[in-house]
Amino acid sequence: MDILFAALLLVLAGGLAPLALHRWLSAAKVAHVSLVAAGCLTGLYGVYAAWGQSTPVLFSCPWLHSLTWSLSLDSLATAFLPPIFLLAPVIALYSYDYLDAVEHAWRTAVNHFFFSLLVAAMVLVTLADNMAAFALAWELMSLSSYALVLYDYEREETQRAAHLYLLFTQTGALLVFAAFGLLAQSTGSLAFAQIQLAPQAAKTAAFFLALIGFGSKAGVFPLHIWLPHAHPAAPSHVSALMSGVMIKMGVYGILRLYFLLNDFNPLFARTVLVLGMVSGVLGVVYALSKREIKRLLAYSSIENIGVIFIGCGLGMVGLSSGNRIMAAFGFAGGLLHVLNHALFKSLLFMGAGAILHTVGARKMDQLGGLMKTMPVTGRTFLAGSVAISGLPPFNGFVSEFLIYYAAFQGLGLQGPDFLLSMAAIIALALIGGLAAGCFTKVVGIVFLGEPRREHAHAATDPGPTMGAAMTLLAVACLGIGLWPEPFIRFAFAGLRDLAPLAAVSADVLGAVPHNLAVIARVFVGLLLALTALRRLLYRGKPVSQNTTWGCGFTQATSRIQYTGASYSLSIVDFHRPFIKTTTKFAALVRIFPGATQYSRKVEDLAEIGLHRLLVRPVLKIADKLRWIQHGHIQLYIGYIVFTIAALLLVV
Amino acid sequence: MINSIDLILVLILLAVLLSLGSSRMMALIKIMALQGAMVSLVPIFIEPQARLSNGGILFFQLMLLIKAVLIPGLLYMALNRIAIKREVEPLIGYHASLLVGLGLVMLSAYITRRMGLSLPGDYALLLITAITTTGGGLFLMMSRTKAITQVIGYLMLENGIYLVGTALTKHTHNIYLVEFGVLLDLLAGVMIMGIILHNINRAFDDVDTAYLEQLKD
Repeated sequence: MDILFAALLLVLAGGLAPLALHRWLSAAKVAHVSLVAAGCLTGLYGVYAAWGQSTPVLFSCPWLHSLTWSLSLDSLATAFLPPIFLLAPVIALYSYDYLDAVEHAWRTAVNHFFFSLLVAAMVLVTLADNMAAFALAWELMSLSSYALVLYDYEREETQRAAHLYLLFTQTGALLVFAAFGLLAQSTGSLAFAQIQLAPQAAKTAAFFLALIGFGSKAGVFPLHIWLPHAHPAAPSHVSALMSGVMIKMGVYGILRLYFLLNDFNPLFARTVLVLGMVSGVLGVVYALSKREIKRLLAYSSIENIGVIFIGCGLGMVGLSSGNRIMAAFGFAGGLLHVLNHALFKSLLFMGAGAILHTVGARKMDQLGGLMKTMPVTGRTFLAGSVAISGLPPFNGFVSEFLIYYAAFQGLGLQGPDFLLSMAAIIALALIGGLAAGCFTKVVGIVFLGEPRREHAHAATDPGPTMGAAMTLLAVACLGIGLWPEPFIRFAFAGLRDLAPLAAVSADVLGAVPHNLAVIARVFVGLLLALTALRRLLYRGKPVSQNTTWGCGFTQATSRIQYTGASYSLSIVDFHRPFIKTTTKFAALVRIFPGATQYSRKVEDLAEIGLHRLLVRPVLKIADKLRWIQHGHIQLYIGYIVFTIAALLLVV
Repeated sequence: MINSIDLILVLILLAVLLSLGSSRMMALIKIMALQGAMVSLVPIFIEPQARLSNGGILFFQLMLLIKAVLIPGLLYMALNRIAIKREVEPLIGYHASLLVGLGLVMLSAYITRRMGLSLPGDYALLLITAITTTGGGLFLMMSRTKAITQVIGYLMLENGIYLVGTALTKHTHNIYLVEFGVLLDLLAGVMIMGIILHNINRAFDDVDTAYLEQLKD
């Protein structure tokens, strides 16, 4: 635990140093990157040192007389800490070249400060062992990420997105604290260890309150509205950290509370599983329909959170029905997917940021052909896309395979659990296919073909640290895919301290990791062999290169290429009842038609629902109560006085 | 010992009544300085002298300095700068205000009894004084039009809260949590109100809060 405190201090120092050094921008950035990296490596060492110990490491000290500040490092925390400690230094490295505006030196320093604060807060959230410590760390995390989103604070769009995020995160926090309040009231203690003594009704209410609260942080389907607004508005390294790591804290919260409640109610399991399926499928369908890269990636995060929820939901179903193997595989798959998604989603956001940084276009239909001009970004982005689609030689396949395995175990159950396991398999297959479709769209439109606008011609690869960060993550994605065994063991070890799963040892794994490794290696071998074969067969033969989609024409215009909308049209329309599209198109009438226009807009059902069911009624009531605000200060104070007097005299 | 405490509390009560009845700004500020000094003396007389630590003594000195010298001084300067020497301009007349003040004393005696808090020692007057001071501050804020009177009302309110804090913390003053909180509130409040006063004066050439009604949307 002391090592972790040292790590936290280093990370925080990495946030304070740029504030002091902001006059010398590169010195500030070097200090930030090196201190954050040193802190995170120390933290990784601390996690590794705690790994071998069989009991959780505890720490507590009194705080403000009435509260205790207690932390613990158990196996679930050690499963969630590595993504934070691995990603934070890589993202900091990326931000070195990404935040290169000299005229914004102070802003960059402040951004570095809140970055460090967010990393430290996330570490504290995973370590917290009582409600007070958790609540404090949770709020710190929400507020520092809010400040990070506000980097471009002059833009109105950014302000709106940040306020929307603040609204969601604070409402979520309110619900989580309400759940804590219910539990603390019924047990009379703030300690996490006492939670399991709460009565049944309090447990159920607390679980569902916290599910909504943590779910809004994680971005589960009907509660995800802030994600597609905040991510495009935030700078790309912030999106990478928030989408890659921070939203997983919502998953951590749900898992932590579920195991603390020690109540394996099938209702909890089924709710989480269904939420996961809904958010997985709809997330990827909405992602397919989006035109901005970062918005698309935000929806894809919702999809991956859905996959993680499916894994955890299957684990919970396994626990409630007594199938320990299913439980272990489900939870382990979820935990591994947390790490994997952190790696490839950060990679993809970094790629999107590199494009934004050098080309300056947000819409995919303005880009094209970037694979030739930005080889590093293009190849790493391709690696991330293959990984996120869950295809074999990469890491996404490994975790999704574990979740599939859990779902297939569930086929032996009875009644609704059988149906849900079946639905989970179908949903996972659907998600995988749609995700592949979604990312072929991104890679195809953005990186292949010909540039659609002039500025895409001039693009070059971004600065060396951005390239290095992306390459590192791409190599990590491939590495986990090729050597999955230690990582699968890592995910299973994350379940070690959880009482109901303690009996399941890693022996259930059997030959699974080995076979996974073989599959991945065979794929890579096949790829290498085919490439070599192609080289061999084409040796000495002339190979001519022409414009993509030229199809024999030499003067083809780049506007004849597929657009994102035309590529995804049929898939999106297939899901019509769950996705609302409005198309504006004046039909062609004459034989020689004049100029015409086609535009297509996809709206989020959850956003429409929120607007209709909550925002509009509240605004209506607020309008009716406008007379209360009249401008007399004396009467405002009068309101306060009468409220206090009434409270003192009556209550 | 009891007598000196009662004396101080009575002085605080009288200061409340006096402030409700006074018509001049300058007089009001002087009354506030007196009340601040008295309020910051209360804990010293409640606490057994032997238990006062060095930090405690330093803290009470600081309290006295801020409440009795610094804040009234700041208000005095603000008053000089925006040059209002005129009347307090009440919405409710001075005599009626005094009557309300007396009513407040009775009401707080009733509330104290109704809440039935068992205070250590027999400082029965302490809570009554505290609630009266709080109520008096709120009443001052409600019934006067000048923005600076609102500041003074706010100060009186904070004095009352400070007294409640002293009454309720059972005199285990080793962290001074309530006191520090009140002090911070107070300083921040006076600073902010100073800025606001200046802005109101610049925008409307007067510090009458009636002008602020124009700002509502």
